[in-house]
Amino acid sequence: MRLSTAFTTMRLSAIRMLANRAGMLVNSAIYVIVVSVLGGLWRVGAAATGSIVGYSAAALTWYIATSEAVTIPLNSRMIADVSEDIVSGGIAVELLRPISVVGLRVADQVGRTLPRIGVCATIGCVMSWWLVGAPPNVAALFLAVPSMLLAVALNVVAQHCFAALAFWLRHTGASWFLYQKLVFMLGGMLLPIQVLPSALRRVAMGTPFPSMAYAPARLASGHLEPSLLLIQLVWLVVLSALGVAIFALGERRLQVVGG
Amino acid sequence: MTHLLRCISATSRAAFAEQTANKRAVVFQVGVMIFNDLAWVGFWLIFFRATGTVGGWDRSKIFLLQAVLTTAGGIVLGMLSNARHLGALASDGRLDEALTLPVHPLGYLLFRRVEPTNLGDTIFGVGLFAIAGNPTPMRTLVYIGSVIGAVLLLTSFLVLVGSLSFFGGRSDASELGFHTILLLSNYPLDLFGGGARLLVYTVVPAAFISTVPAQLIDNFQPRLAVAMTGAVMAFVTAAYWTFSLGLRRYASGSIWTRA
Repeated sequence: MRLSTAFTTMRLSAIRMLANRAGMLVNSAIYVIVVSVLGGLWRVGAAATGSIVGYSAAALTWYIATSEAVTIPLNSRMIADVSEDIVSGGIAVELLRPISVVGLRVADQVGRTLPRIGVCATIGCVMSWWLVGAPPNVAALFLAVPSMLLAVALNVVAQHCFAALAFWLRHTGASWFLYQKLVFMLGGMLLPIQVLPSALRRVAMGTPFPSMAYAPARLASGHLEPSLLLIQLVWLVVLSALGVAIFALGERRLQVVGG
Repeated sequence: MTHLLRCISATSRAAFAEQTANKRAVVFQVGVMIFNDLAWVGFWLIFFRATGTVGGWDRSKIFLLQAVLTTAGGIVLGMLSNARHLGALASDGRLDEALTLPVHPLGYLLFRRVEPTNLGDTIFGVGLFAIAGNPTPMRTLVYIGSVIGAVLLLTSFLVLVGSLSFFGGRSDASELGFHTILLLSNYPLDLFGGGARLLVYTVVPAAFISTVPAQLIDNFQPRLAVAMTGAVMAFVTAAYWTFSLGLRRYASGSIWTRA
């Protein structure tokens, strides 16, 4: 798929999402609630112990504001939706287009998510600054911006890889819950990876999940580690290739009855 | 009254039979939900390992909170599944079928849909209380009472915010209310002060769905029990009247569905 097609799709999806003001408002409100409660919880914990695995209360606040900003705006039922389209045969119509089905879907979802991320990240910055003061490291915070974009792209691609299992399994049911919990724990969405027991931390670091939440959050919490961006980029290339391959194989298996 | 109970019982049985026809799928979905709840237990274990006791909350007390929340949440979202969909049903004009029946539409609607996935929550909650809740006869009695209160309160709150769709014509408030109360209920809310505390004990009564029940089971205080009973009665009354008043403004969408 040409880059210009992907960008046009993203732009149109973003415009459609911007037009849905009520949806944006609901998403932003949910973000504010989660960041207030979860950030507050970690701050209370850090206040009791001084710092948690090297994160001060301020760093944890910036961490949670960022990790939630790259996960809450995503369509939480994306896997279920894509699986449903595969199982019902609805995806067959998209095969008629002379472009990659998975490429177009990923571009559409990333486009839909970007305006929400922009709003959530802005709110998160204002909230964190107001609650705990300036970001711990401004240079690292700037690096967190491209890292957030990579995190979202990677998450969307990974969800399509996961959803494509429906080509073979047919009934993927509530499997999106499983994926969500992997991002939740191994991805560092609710807690910094360093808090995990060492064995679990090693497992987490060998998966793409930390690149979906932990990487931008680690940067925003004041840790200037540009290597995180490189790791994200590598996972994005690997999972994109995997996604294209799985969809290509799956499309050959697709059977549509009537319609 | 007997007539209503008979109708509700028949509706509930039919809804359950419809959803559990595919036994393997139900077992899988229930299993996924139990895994989902275990992830939360994992989060709290890791959190308290890093922070120690926070504001009087430790592992055992947070397990009580999780036990009540998952048991009550599972019953409401599993057995009374339409409580969370009421807003969308009202704003889309999909209540016609319920209005033709010789029973109160709210009773019928609440019991009309079963979501087997969420029944996993209830199984998990009961199991968690049995394993980690130190179930003496007194604590078990308070646990059962608290769950009944939490079920009534959560259902009433969802019906109340869902019924707002009759007046506003959109279901966004209903969606926001659903996410807000469930997100907030996951955390020990007495850790927070000021406006946030006032909010979770009044407008969005999340504290009475998890925090207060956990406190009651851990250390029964008549003052808290009275406050919880008052909150339940206020929200049940408000939900019933808001739904009844809203129903007068209902405009059919000319869609005949099995709501």
